Amino acid sequence: MQKLSEEQLENLAQDLDAIRNEQMADLGQKDADYIRGIIRLHRTLEFGGRALMPLGFIPPFFLAGMTSLGIAKILENMEIGHNVMHGQYDWMNDPELNSQTYEWDTICTADSWKRTHNYEHHTYTNVIGKDRDYGYAVLRLEDETPWKPMHLLQMINFINLSVFFQWGVGVHELEFEKLRSGEVTLREKAEFLRDFARKGGRQVFKDYAFYPALTLPVAPVVIAGNFGANLIRNLWASSVIFCGHFTEDAESFTEEECENESRGHWYLRQLTGSSNFTGPNWVYTLSGHLSHQIEHHVFPDIPAYRYREISPQVQAVCEKYGLHYNADSFPRQYATVLKRVTAFSLPDRMRERLFPEFNEGDEQGKVADRTTSTSLVSRLRNRVSSTLSAAA
Amino acid sequence: MQESINMEKGVDRGQGRSYRGVLARVGPGRDTWRWLGQQLFNRENPAMYFDPLLESINPLWAQRYIPARVETIEAETHDSKTLTLRPARRWGGFRAGQHLNLEVEKDGRWYSRPFSLSCSPSHWEQDGTITVTIKKVADGEITPWLLEHFQPGDVIGISRAYGEDHTPEPGHPMLFITGGSGITPVLSQLEAMADRHLRNPVTLLYFVRTDADVIGGCKLEALAERLPNLELRIVAAEQDPQNPDHLGPHHLQAVEGLTERDCFLCGPPGLMKHAQNLLADAGVPEEQVSSTLFAVGPGVVVTEDAGGTVHFSRSDITVESAGDRRLLEEAESAGLNPRYGCRMGICHQCSCRKTSGIVINQQTGQPSGYGEETIQLCINVPQGAVELDL
Repeated sequence: MQKLSEEQLENLAQDLDAIRNEQMADLGQKDADYIRGIIRLHRTLEFGGRALMPLGFIPPFFLAGMTSLGIAKILENMEIGHNVMHGQYDWMNDPELNSQTYEWDTICTADSWKRTHNYEHHTYTNVIGKDRDYGYAVLRLEDETPWKPMHLLQMINFINLSVFFQWGVGVHELEFEKLRSGEVTLREKAEFLRDFARKGGRQVFKDYAFYPALTLPVAPVVIAGNFGANLIRNLWASSVIFCGHFTEDAESFTEEECENESRGHWYLRQLTGSSNFTGPNWVYTLSGHLSHQIEHHVFPDIPAYRYREISPQVQAVCEKYGLHYNADSFPRQYATVLKRVTAFSLPDRMRERLFPEFNEGDEQGKVADRTTSTSLVSRLRNRVSSTLSAAA
Repeated sequence: MQESINMEKGVDRGQGRSYRGVLARVGPGRDTWRWLGQQLFNRENPAMYFDPLLESINPLWAQRYIPARVETIEAETHDSKTLTLRPARRWGGFRAGQHLNLEVEKDGRWYSRPFSLSCSPSHWEQDGTITVTIKKVADGEITPWLLEHFQPGDVIGISRAYGEDHTPEPGHPMLFITGGSGITPVLSQLEAMADRHLRNPVTLLYFVRTDADVIGGCKLEALAERLPNLELRIVAAEQDPQNPDHLGPHHLQAVEGLTERDCFLCGPPGLMKHAQNLLADAGVPEEQVSSTLFAVGPGVVVTEDAGGTVHFSRSDITVESAGDRRLLEEAESAGLNPRYGCRMGICHQCSCRKTSGIVINQQTGQPSGYGEETIQLCINVPQGAVELDL
């Protein structure tokens, strides 16, 4: 990982704290109006989508209803649920927007999410063995994890995870890999399983039993439309999250590196372990502003729509300490995710030859590898970044 | 002394009735609808799911609080105003001497502040309005803003009424000792007496700083007309700075048949404490004295044996409490962000599960039991080790 001296780390923490304090002092009506506006949009899209769905035997209505409900679910999960559960709006003292009581429209229970995501993932970001979100225990994305033949097929896992993302997130805390190795027992997971069944049942009941039953003659159409809406949400949410930590340049860390770390070191890890993607504002909103994963990871409880404004300040801090601010367009970031998943599915020797850009080594070696890389995407990216730095 | 703010009443009534009226008539029972709403919308109170849309159509349709339209605003003194409100019909009404919380959003933050209803219940029953009198708290966060911000026609949130029912009973002679804005629940009680044509001998001792600080002056004059046995004594304690006239034994000596009277105290804590002592000295039996402890801030608490180790189990944080701060403050200074509202034991927003240990309620001085129960963080301090689900 990129190294900074203790003194630099301390200064880094001070610089980022200053940005954070400035934002926290500025919280007010603007933020309340923003999130309420998003909630109004969500309700409109959800009710609109569900109302159109029974007319889904007419193709344009099917498409409109499914898209409307899909976008509603995306907004609810990402811009509302995820952000509210981070406590971004706790200061409003609104019981509807309280991180302790909010429950979102997905299989995973809010409590389970807050344990695995807010606590584990945000504390131990990209620390292999501690952050189970890094690869979700079904993907090998770095060479700390020893290669096994089954990894050859991990692209199938990747596709499954994308398609059934809400279920993957829902059972995440079951720690299937630890159950298999006997590290935890099913009995210890009884409570989790009970909550999971209750919430999962609720979600299935809603989309695949209640609303179809309400519109019985056209129930198959409604089931299909609801499935489509959930699929749209799953594909988008998983893609956004993969682009946040699995991109080519996003770093991962070992437990030893992070023992007794300072606040500055934690900040450093958040900056270098996350990656942003760029796009128009509506894409940012649909991503719950996880397009700005770097800003989100340094300031998880600042209302997310502010990340857009803070971004130049965070970039300036990165520049000051010579840190790589990992941002690129969505397609390019997603392409590097696919490359990483492919690269680490291969045995190490083969990967080192075919994907030298992932080779560990000192920073210079890495840069050299990059320039000799034959991958079209990385060559393109290098050209863009060198043009950019020349312009700057 | 009786503790007259009885929360349970208000809270129990507050839950669930809001959509009962609408849904119960449609078919299945209220519980079935509620259950279904919980499945579909993933929240305890599914009625609130529609608020964002309903509110933008008509603010009076909101379900998360009870909306009330501001009808008129009248200045009482230089620093107090009386708001006449028209609550949504589902508001449950009130009894004389009860309170409600005003629920307002200021700079994106929700605040809940308690105020006394200052009119008799007949106003609500007959024309659907209520009055609330607000006095500016110097350096207060909310009251100065409240007094400036609202205009007739605006919508303000209110809670259901809560607090002990102080509807006057016929027969008993009464004595009210009030100070400052403590007059407001008494106005409600006196008006209720007049509505019921009661003839009890009533003495009102009303302490204000100067003549310009009298709240409800017109109302009191009108009440004196309607209540022939009302003896009204307004004491402007600091009108003459050279000769201040604060509550003293001489005021009580002038009250005829003092020991027979039911006494009701409402005002600043200092005045109430003093009045309690004077009444006890004058031989008034304790059970005849009731009071509304209303203006109590978090303040510093000194209790014997208080303090201990507090473990916030959900966030796995342990703090040593010296017993001089409420659990809410302990939790906040430990970096937690528990839900809270009034911070004075009224609204139950900060209620939380205590899984073990004893806490002392600082308003009553009462220790809790050992076991698991719901406690209010803002009014309890630990007595020994306590574990909280926070």
